Amino acid sequence: MKTQQLSNAAGPIDALATHRPTRILRLRTMLHVGMKMMFYDKLKFAGTLFGVIFAVVLFNQQLGVFLGLLSKNTMFVDNARADLWIVPTSTETLQPGKPVPMSALYEARTTPGVAWAEPLLYGGASISLPKGGSEQVTVIGTKAPYWRGGPWNIVAGSVDVLRNPDVMIFEDSERDKLGGVNLGSVREVNGHRTVVGGFTWGLLPFAPSYSFAEYDYARVLLGTPSDETSFVLVGVGAGANPDSVALAVRKRVPAYDVLTTHTFRNRILRYLLESTGIGFTTATSAMFGLIVGLVIVSLSMFSSVIDNIREFGTLKAIGCGNKDLALMLLVQSAAYGLIGSLIGLALISNIAEAMRSPKLALALPWLTYACTPAVMVLLCGLASLLALSRIRKLEPGMVFR
Amino acid sequence: MNNINESPRVVDVNGLSKVYGSGAIAFEALKKVDFYADAGEFVMISGPSGSGKTTLLSILGCVLRPTAGRVVIFGHDVSTTRENELPSLRLSLIGFVFQGFNLIASLSASENIALVLRLRGWEPKQAQSEAVKLLAEVGIGEKADSLPRDLSGGQRQRVAIARALAGHPPLLLADEPTANLDGQTGLQVTELLKDLAAIHGSTVVVVTHDPRIHNLADRIVQLEDGQIRKESL
Ligand SMILES: Nc1ncnc2c1ncn2[C@@H]1O[C@H](COP(=O)(O)OP(=O)(O)OP(=O)(O)O)[C@@H](O)[C@H]1O
Ligand SMILES: [Mg+2]
Repeated sequence: MKTQQLSNAAGPIDALATHRPTRILRLRTMLHVGMKMMFYDKLKFAGTLFGVIFAVVLFNQQLGVFLGLLSKNTMFVDNARADLWIVPTSTETLQPGKPVPMSALYEARTTPGVAWAEPLLYGGASISLPKGGSEQVTVIGTKAPYWRGGPWNIVAGSVDVLRNPDVMIFEDSERDKLGGVNLGSVREVNGHRTVVGGFTWGLLPFAPSYSFAEYDYARVLLGTPSDETSFVLVGVGAGANPDSVALAVRKRVPAYDVLTTHTFRNRILRYLLESTGIGFTTATSAMFGLIVGLVIVSLSMFSSVIDNIREFGTLKAIGCGNKDLALMLLVQSAAYGLIGSLIGLALISNIAEAMRSPKLALALPWLTYACTPAVMVLLCGLASLLALSRIRKLEPGMVFR
Repeated sequence: MNNINESPRVVDVNGLSKVYGSGAIAFEALKKVDFYADAGEFVMISGPSGSGKTTLLSILGCVLRPTAGRVVIFGHDVSTTRENELPSLRLSLIGFVFQGFNLIASLSASENIALVLRLRGWEPKQAQSEAVKLLAEVGIGEKADSLPRDLSGGQRQRVAIARALAGHPPLLLADEPTANLDGQTGLQVTELLKDLAAIHGSTVVVVTHDPRIHNLADRIVQLEDGQIRKESL
């Protein structure tokens, strides 16, 4: 560097030209100063970070509960291993409406593009407890040997125990509620002596817990006539397009809805969002978390500028432009966003782990982990605008006062 | 455009006025002031409180815009320079020393100085080693890594002088640099400023109340009530 000699030899006017640092150098310089200033006031740093963490935790907690609730309602459809569902018209969520005739099953089986079709029974039953009283369960009747719509997440026994007469699989987390059942326990389900043959984990919808029986046994339990069923599950052949097969099946059973798994899932979600308040409630609290967090960030960044107003004035006087200082604030807010997100996400994933239960699980897909830092950096950048406007208005002349 | 090689006049101010506020609360802090400083001069501005010394220095430093008059610094008419060009003008031409030192509290002594160099385009490593050299020049080489809060007032002002000298800007402006220092320290620091400026050929304008340092001046300009009262050598 020969700038110092140049400035006097060639005259200060010419020296102006040599005094333009590259953008990268400028960025590095403002990054350096920004980080030093940010970490210097530990209390303010912690306060600002708290705002970000607050927003991240509250937002993700609300989002996680919300997604958890949604997945409780869609998990059966997600796990039924069917491509198409034949359901009563105007079915909006997984609830049996008026029955579907078995003829629909046969129509489906003979539709080109269909690989298989199986009936599925779905109905409420009561299970009587040893000490008197009863509990409700949702009985699912699933056909051997493929067990479409059958139990998943089996933690004791296997699905094939359902081949034995009078055997059902229940939800493990409901064992106490069902009167302390174990493998081999005997209970009366809708008045029929039933043996506990296995357990699933986490199959708790908002309806009573799912409990599985072989199709014909379920028909007995639910008293369903042999020419009726609740739903028909259909698989399409390899290479066939589910949408066009659905269309073909619909032509044959015009009195019923034929939905792809995807459409059914969306219908359920739409139903939940439109007819229950959970979408609104969740969005409100999530927004509340974000807004409160960002107000904290915004105010503490602003007050940190006020606290250090003389330093900012000095920086301006010695030659930092508004752009440099804006860059510095943006770098700081990005750092707050990133550090706060990492801590917040670590916290929320621990919280999610700690409160994970079949009743209430926080569903936090990897996408939220990936998006949170980006979103927070963006929002912290917005939050820094208040501080930035103060800096823009700052007269460098104030340093002499 | 003038060139420093043709004219020794570094600062040339003509008919400078500054009005603060407007309407009923308008206050004329400077009234048609003429002022100049030649290359290598050590000029002091003196005068009672409220006479407009800081206002004049702020305008010379391009941190305050005049209301009327012509302010030419190294041939740049800064009264007409666009606002967004002033920062780089200040950066390359002017070094500041403040009454309150105005160091960045979170940066060490050497980082405070290196910052100015980095803003002027120096590589971080070179800026840092130049900063340490400058600190040695002002006599506190061993304090390079200290934060301002761990330095005495005199040491802080030495850091501030080193920062003002960083990159050797041709014009140094100081507002009451001794006001927060005891008499002995104030004198030493001003002598230091004068010596170093002389070595690098910089022009210095110092605003001061302090009669103890008056004899260091090449020329003293007396301001009173926003006007130049007298000049003395
Ligand atoms: N931003 C401002 N708005 C309004 N009036 C101002 C402002 N800054 C200074 N003044 C007024 O202008 C006059 C000159 O102020 P200035 O600071 O230049 O005086 P000074 O000679 O530096 O005084 P001191 O020796 O006390 O520092 C004072 O009367 C002051 O009150
Ligand atoms: Mg003053």
